[in-house]
Amino acid sequence: MPEKKEYKVIGTRPIRHDGVDKVTGRALYGADFHTAGLLHGRVLRSPHAHARILSIDTSRAEAYPGVKAIVTAKDLPDAADKVADLGEGAVHLKYLCDNILASDKALYKGHAIAAVAATNAHIAEEACALIDVAYEVLPPVLEVRQAMEPAAPLLHETLKTGSLGETAEEPSNVASHLQHKKGDIEAGFAEADVIIEREFVTGTVHQGYIEPHNATALYNPDGQLTVWCSTQGAFTVREQLTEILQYPISKIKVVPMEIGGGFGGKINVYVEPVAALLAKKTGKPVKVLMNRADVFEGTGPTPASFIRVKMGATKDGKLTAAQTHLAFEAGAYPGSPVGAGAMCIFAPYDIANVLIDGYDVVVNKPKSAPYRAPGATNAAFGSETVIDELAKELNIDALEFRIMNGAKEGVKRADGPVFPRIGFIESVEAAKQHPHYTSPNGKKHHGRGVASGFWFNIGLASSVSISVNPDGTINLVEGSTDIGGTRASIAMQAAEVLGIPAESVNPSVVDTNSVGYTAVTGGSRTTFATGYAAYEAAQDVKRQLIARAAKLWEVDEEDVQFADGEFSCINGKEAQLSFHDLSARLGETGGPVVGSAAVNPPGAGGAFATHIVDLEVDEDTGKVQILRYTATQDAGKAIHPSYVEGQIQGGVVQGIGWALNEEYIYNAEGTMTNASFLDYRIPTCLDLPMIDTVIVEVPNPGHPYGVRGVGEVPIVPPPAAIANAIYDAIGIRMTELPMSPDRMLKAMGKI
Amino acid sequence: MEKFSYVNATNLEQVTSLLNDSGWGEVMVIAGGTDLLGELKEYVETPKTLVNLKTLPGMDSIAADATGLKIGALTTVADIAMHPTIQRHYTVLAQAAASVATPQIRNVGTLGGNLCQRPRCWYYRDETVDCLKKGGEICYAVEGLNKYHAILGGDPVYIVHPSDIAPALIALGATIKIAGPEGEKTMAVEEFFTLPATNPFRENVLEPNEIVVEVQVPQPKPNTKSLYLKAREKGAPDFALASVAGVFEMSGSTCNTASIVLGGVAPAPWRSKEAEAALTGKMISEAVSKQAGADAVKDAQPLNDNEYKVVLTQNLISRAAMMAAHA
Repeated sequence: MPEKKEYKVIGTRPIRHDGVDKVTGRALYGADFHTAGLLHGRVLRSPHAHARILSIDTSRAEAYPGVKAIVTAKDLPDAADKVADLGEGAVHLKYLCDNILASDKALYKGHAIAAVAATNAHIAEEACALIDVAYEVLPPVLEVRQAMEPAAPLLHETLKTGSLGETAEEPSNVASHLQHKKGDIEAGFAEADVIIEREFVTGTVHQGYIEPHNATALYNPDGQLTVWCSTQGAFTVREQLTEILQYPISKIKVVPMEIGGGFGGKINVYVEPVAALLAKKTGKPVKVLMNRADVFEGTGPTPASFIRVKMGATKDGKLTAAQTHLAFEAGAYPGSPVGAGAMCIFAPYDIANVLIDGYDVVVNKPKSAPYRAPGATNAAFGSETVIDELAKELNIDALEFRIMNGAKEGVKRADGPVFPRIGFIESVEAAKQHPHYTSPNGKKHHGRGVASGFWFNIGLASSVSISVNPDGTINLVEGSTDIGGTRASIAMQAAEVLGIPAESVNPSVVDTNSVGYTAVTGGSRTTFATGYAAYEAAQDVKRQLIARAAKLWEVDEEDVQFADGEFSCINGKEAQLSFHDLSARLGETGGPVVGSAAVNPPGAGGAFATHIVDLEVDEDTGKVQILRYTATQDAGKAIHPSYVEGQIQGGVVQGIGWALNEEYIYNAEGTMTNASFLDYRIPTCLDLPMIDTVIVEVPNPGHPYGVRGVGEVPIVPPPAAIANAIYDAIGIRMTELPMSPDRMLKAMGKI
Repeated sequence: MEKFSYVNATNLEQVTSLLNDSGWGEVMVIAGGTDLLGELKEYVETPKTLVNLKTLPGMDSIAADATGLKIGALTTVADIAMHPTIQRHYTVLAQAAASVATPQIRNVGTLGGNLCQRPRCWYYRDETVDCLKKGGEICYAVEGLNKYHAILGGDPVYIVHPSDIAPALIALGATIKIAGPEGEKTMAVEEFFTLPATNPFRENVLEPNEIVVEVQVPQPKPNTKSLYLKAREKGAPDFALASVAGVFEMSGSTCNTASIVLGGVAPAPWRSKEAEAALTGKMISEAVSKQAGADAVKDAQPLNDNEYKVVLTQNLISRAAMMAAHA
């Protein structure tokens, strides 16, 4: 257990190392990439949500002046039924390849069918219109409950439900069924004095990153493939490329460009393999860019879901049983985050009897991708609304009810793990004592709501190397894409070890040939795991510098002490050197010092958040206006508090958008009718008050500074908190997202 | 987008003669381009020639005197929103202009473009859909997704007119000057817009060889209160789910005359004579304002998904009247 102690760098707020480049527009993003002889690629996408591809005739497009190459699924290696292990679980290679370029069926509107490389982007776009594709249009299935019906149109004729280790006989759109059990659910409900059961529906929403996907690829004549792209994980791109292209991993170099947002949506590859195929065929560098409609229609949103939650409590407020049915839309291929939703849904509470059933269901929508605490927000919308209703029914303060039933160290989750030291109770206490919660709330049509959330966070592998410069600074090389200020939060952990200011660290995010393996920036792992690697690499540097000082002073290494950036001799001999001064003497003591570390830390600490929202419901227009918002969260230890606050605020804003406005609106043919930021409404500053944040610090025992991941959990509580506040304002329970004006007017009985 | 040639206009005669040689869509005019560029990128329009009006001299200013306003068609939406005289005496117009889109769009979008912008309907904007508005057989909104479509005057095309400024101008009794090959003509802004029953393909009376050059607004009488209320799903940028431009000439809380024009609910800005009649000569009370709202929508014919707009419109009218009388 790390002790609470004073730090010199940790907990301060230095200016981020990438700040100047970003605010002056000099940072280089994927679309900025340029090189001699560059060709431009464009992807032809399916106009149908569900269709068999009968033939693709590219002859007219090939003859179009300026066109250099055209690729289809035929240009991909035969995927057959190979299962690829990409670190995040086994994936059918055919599904992976078909999502890049459809082979036999188009499974969603926007599904990539073919791609053109041409001398400019306009010619490429014009040539796409000259590719003749014959389709047999099939009826689409667009909603999870319909897709689960036995008579529903099948997306994959060979997909059979895997359920608790068994595989079904007949094909189905239900890819898998999972279950977590704890205690005796029937007995738990029998003990309960109050039981609430409700059904919830959430819409399909997109991560909404501002920068569209992009990739530039180049095959050198020696077979070396280089890909420049916008990604949350260069090594993950490399792994996917080696599987999809069946090409040796050692011949692929992925260069991560600066990233304009990802939120989980830039882990799966889309245009990267397409650019590589076109580059191979032309022998030229090829750049492929998406536009906004491509992003909405051709990349992973987070799934719509149908959720049933049943919970019971005794009249003195003890939760006795919790049961849920989670049905998530995977999109065109299996792999929704229903598993994560199942892990998170009841995790904040110590409940003896739990039964969780989760269903991963394919529908004719883009294959879903992770989105900030994937699955947990959908699930919490259900559970945290029912918790609120139970508390009201029992006449117990909603936060007090959470404290009474809150999970703490030693409690076993329904999916197995036993909690180490966690800070759920502390985060709820912080909310309960906050002036926001204790302020009056009673104006007509004003309401206050609360909700909590959990996200487990992950560890995974990270590598860092540090070289010492003669002027007392260090160069820190890492493989983690910096989305939310992690150059700073990682640099600060090395700086703390070496007793130097954060400004004395030059962090670089480099390509896959230039640093050890590093997993994606995702799972709220980067400050935790890559920070851990930086800590260890700095310890390595420290050990080597102690040896150098010992050499200079002709003493044993044990006689050299390092504290507060000063090396000193502790065997009586008067000798002292600062980190800065010793750095200047590396040449005379044996040459450069390079420290490195590769870690795979097991102790990721789960994150808990509790949110309070005040809002006003306009009875005339159905519009919900957020008036005040406070988010408390256990960060373990906030390395750079400003970026922790930024992550909390960003997550809350995305959660508010999900709650009130955002959704894919599909017509009966399966076309998304609102594939632009004008019609797909993400919140702007006009829609939001200041989001107040309270950082709670219950150190994670699994990290030297106590870091927990912070990026994801803040998106989890907002939809439920807002629904609970709407109930407080007008006495109506909203069970469908988004809670847009038309739905509000309908719920209020005005229509 | 398709290739096109680009001509910088030097005078009105040149513009109308360039337009005169073609029907709709071959030669198009562009000013701010905030609407047209989207149509070009999405292949909704594929002109061979674009005529840039921004190079026409003297059409981008606001003249205000005791009789009223003259606003050139190239005046930006931002200039209208921020003009001190408009803010003081023509409040509904300033408020409507300020509610348009975002600061960036208001800084380049023009008055003429705002009045002549095309519908935001998601069937119309989809290049693959051959809808009635584009010369096809069917208005797909009728049986399809119609959450944002018309509740009044729809038949046979259920788009809503997206302009915020147009309802304000009509409520203020503005006139519009149009230039064509035979010279200039002036008409009421109210007469400028047409319903799909008259012409399903266009939203106004402009011929392919005509352009808007100026709008004139008479100075409102003393004791006039005017305001623009716009309901939308998010703060910005967003089009109106429903909006109300109201101009009320008041004696205390008694309404002498009222002009009520609705946006976002019909294929053209929708003047509600019913609401005006319910308010004229009345002391504005909660009951009177509610009656005005109810009268305005009594002939509304909502589609499957837009019944909420009926209640929304009703409530906005009533709120506007109460604000004019009591705020």
